[in-house]
Amino acid sequence: MVEWLLAGATGLAVLAGVTGLQAVRHGRRSRWTLVLMALAFFCQLWVLGIRGAERGRCPLADGGEVLVFLSWSLVLFYLVVGPAYRLSLLGLFTAPVVAVFQGLVLGLGMFEADPERVVEVDGWAEAHAAFSVLAYGAFALAAVAALMFLVLNRKLKQHHPRGPLFRNLPPARSLLDSMARLTLLGVLILTAGVAMGFLMQQRGGSSGHIVMAMVTWLAYVVLLVVYRVRGVTPRRLSLAVVGLFAVSLLVFAFV
Amino acid sequence: MMDVVCLGLNHRSAPVAVREMVSVPERKLGEATEGLCRIEGVEEGVVLSTCNRTEYYAAGRDAAVAREGLRGFMIEHGGESLGEEHLYEMESGEAIRHLCRVVSGLDSMVLGETEVFGQVKRAYRAALEAGHTSTTLNKVFQKAFGIGKKVRSATGIQEGQTSVGSVAVDLAEKIFGHLRESPVMVLGAGEMSRSTARSLLSRGAHSIFVANRSYSRAEVLARELSGKAVRYDEWQRVLTEVDVVISSTSAPHAVVRRPDVEAVRGKRRYRPLFFIDIAVPRDIDPEVGEIEEVYLYDIDALEKIAGRGRERRAEQIRVCERIITEELAKAGLLGE
Repeated sequence: MVEWLLAGATGLAVLAGVTGLQAVRHGRRSRWTLVLMALAFFCQLWVLGIRGAERGRCPLADGGEVLVFLSWSLVLFYLVVGPAYRLSLLGLFTAPVVAVFQGLVLGLGMFEADPERVVEVDGWAEAHAAFSVLAYGAFALAAVAALMFLVLNRKLKQHHPRGPLFRNLPPARSLLDSMARLTLLGVLILTAGVAMGFLMQQRGGSSGHIVMAMVTWLAYVVLLVVYRVRGVTPRRLSLAVVGLFAVSLLVFAFV
Repeated sequence: MMDVVCLGLNHRSAPVAVREMVSVPERKLGEATEGLCRIEGVEEGVVLSTCNRTEYYAAGRDAAVAREGLRGFMIEHGGESLGEEHLYEMESGEAIRHLCRVVSGLDSMVLGETEVFGQVKRAYRAALEAGHTSTTLNKVFQKAFGIGKKVRSATGIQEGQTSVGSVAVDLAEKIFGHLRESPVMVLGAGEMSRSTARSLLSRGAHSIFVANRSYSRAEVLARELSGKAVRYDEWQRVLTEVDVVISSTSAPHAVVRRPDVEAVRGKRRYRPLFFIDIAVPRDIDPEVGEIEEVYLYDIDALEKIAGRGRERRAEQIRVCERIITEELAKAGLLGE
């Protein structure tokens, strides 16, 4: 059941990407990308609900659950940010990331076959995990916006301002603003997550990934401070946001 | 089906002084159509009147009689200033094709503009409500609306810019979004700077600084653009505040060099900066474009994009004409 639902969510994400791409080719906005991504979101929620019920806790105990949770939070931020900031094409760039994450879960069979049910729930540990993964969703969407900026920047710098993709990309400044806001949002949520991780440790828990999470948190904070205080060129900011997100995924290797 | 006749004048055939003599306010379109249908030989009629054209569409049993009547009606309203040379007339398939071109924006001053579609619709509705259209013109106008929609959805007739100024403005919007939050500096008070700055103003830019070797000329242009004149030796200070620089001085060498921009990068906190260099010889050293957050477009780069836009438009016009021909042929309205 869970695999079928996840396959459905993945199929919907692929379809969202394909319809988005077709719309771009025809030089118009896709009406279906947002709807398909919303449907994928509900399928993901269903998957997480079932896994959560089986475990009796927040479903973040194996690699599959982490990646699905991450994809879910990515779609959540897309659904909130995309329409609000009228960032057309954000769905087109988000859908493949979601499809790849979920495709990995399905292809590599990353879900534990018989999820172990916990006897006692540590509230701080649950909140720590949920907040942290939610933060990575914001970072992931910031990285998507950064990729979009890099594509636009390249076309503008090389004097190739043409083609359906260029026409449909949002203005560079909108992408930079979204990138900065999403990173700030991610840092705030991760701060809460890390703080809860410390509380969890005080209760006797011990996690090596907290160190990695701290490094990630610190790197994002430094980036934000430098961006706000000194300023960073848009290209370097984008590369940093993409690079930091890629590196920060290593934290899940320590979970 | 009766013969269809079109008689009219437009922005190409008549100056505004003549066009305004025969123009009909929208609220009086029904009344004008009534007058049209009193003409001998005219059994159905639609009066279309926009700022660029006034056209009578009529259906009758004898096209020649209807045409003569329409001509007399138009000249009666146009007075002495209206001459035969201002008018054009078409019949049957040619008249229907013309209507389709008008509805599709192919006959407009701004190619592919969409406003004319609504104007034709309102003109038709006024005639319909006044009871002056029947089988022939209903069929012709409905078909023209269908073709107009198809032309717009199936082609890129409205896309792309064809002039240097509009290309520059489009690029500025692609970088900064709405231009109301993007201050602009104009270096040099020549005609090119003026027209490009005006294009930016028309798209929302409102904070404009003008620097020129002659301060009095800078003041004149600044007044015209509702901007602020700055002394020529102060342009580098202003560079820290602006997002867009339009440069068109008559200097024989580069005015803005890489060190000038490097010096203000930190103060600008590395925000994107768009240079539009429309001067020959160029005002902005090409090395400036190598700075990461700088987008530099000189006159050749802009003209190249505008040229592609013009080619694309020409190609799209051919596609539009083909769609019109195919659709009219399918509906049996192509004529001989």
